[in-house]
Amino acid sequence: MGTVVTIDVYPEPAATESQRAKIPAHIHLACDLLHRVDEVFSTWRPDSPVSRLRRGEITADDAPAEVADVIAACAAARELSGGWFDPWAMPGGFDPTGYVKGWAAQRALAVLTPADGVSGAMVNAAGDIACSGQLPTGQPFRVGIANPAAPRRLAEIVELTGAIATSGSYERGPHLIDPHSGLPAARAASASVTGPDLGLADALATGLAVAGPDGLAIVEAIAGYAGLIIGFDGTRQSTQGFPFAERGRP
Amino acid sequence: MKRAPIVIAGTLVGLIGVLKFHTAPISLAGPAGSALPAASASGASPARSPSSQGAKGAGSAAGPGSQRSVAARTAVGPAVYYDYGTLKVRVTVSGHRITNVGIASLDDGSNPRSQYIDQQSIPMLEQEVLQAQSANIQGVSGASFTSAGFAQSLQGALRSLGLA
Repeated sequence: MGTVVTIDVYPEPAATESQRAKIPAHIHLACDLLHRVDEVFSTWRPDSPVSRLRRGEITADDAPAEVADVIAACAAARELSGGWFDPWAMPGGFDPTGYVKGWAAQRALAVLTPADGVSGAMVNAAGDIACSGQLPTGQPFRVGIANPAAPRRLAEIVELTGAIATSGSYERGPHLIDPHSGLPAARAASASVTGPDLGLADALATGLAVAGPDGLAIVEAIAGYAGLIIGFDGTRQSTQGFPFAERGRP
Repeated sequence: MKRAPIVIAGTLVGLIGVLKFHTAPISLAGPAGSALPAASASGASPARSPSSQGAKGAGSAAGPGSQRSVAARTAVGPAVYYDYGTLKVRVTVSGHRITNVGIASLDDGSNPRSQYIDQQSIPMLEQEVLQAQSANIQGVSGASFTSAGFAQSLQGALRSLGLA
């Protein structure tokens, strides 16, 4: 996927030396999992199973088992997103990248937690973040949302108990595809979705950035998920329950 | 003031896994909308924050959470071609902790769009690597990076330090 993944594991203050000593091995296992996902799902590697699937050289039955899992999950996400997320409507054929990055990070997180002596962990796949547990202080994780108009600044801060994905035209310009027209389109400067699973949050954020404010009702209807849209003029619109951090908290 | 708890982190950069030990985030952040403290003022200079300043003086790289003083070591990665030109990444480590990361050289052809993208994305990349120093947030959502070239050069720099 050619992306940068950061893994943070927070030991409990009272964690024993042997509990701490196990953490690097768990991180290596999580890294191994991410490498494996990259080998299978990369659309940049011409010899990856998904690249071969895209070219019609193999069918899903010939690919590793997790390819079928991802195809099923993508179909479910397309349904839940009201069609605004559609890996089958990408130029060049089926492209599950919008789901796989979050799905892989969520699976990597499951390797790291729960673990004895660990208060929390976070996996950040180039801005799509899955976490579990909390900081050693007992406080929740806090994650900034980059300001689409000034990416070195934060637009908002959220208190995260699960996952957050943000989609928008931060660096690459308008690269999102409207599945209904097949053309590049974005109706929000950025769209963020929080929820228990980063794979679905990633898919919904992609769809929400294309759908714009009309997509918020779709996200709102999915139990456990919330959405925030930042418009091209900087205005914010969100669903009920979007986990904004309390303003002014240190 | 009690000692900050040690956080163990792994950074997967492209194809490698790197273990780094760093201190817990330091409270610097202002309210939402403030600049990210860990991002440098310019894409061409290394990001700095209080917990990375020790890396500037060789041999005294201990940050607030370090248990002992470890000599800081710096390496520059190979020149890597990326979408908008070539870049080299410089990284400083103290033991297994990445204390500083920045751009050693950058040639984006002086194309205005490339320059614009680099000015936006490179500080974010530096900030991402130095995530633990980014005040009282643990991550940033919504950063789409010029990441592959940056990661590749960083990987080379870490490898030359025996860490990859």
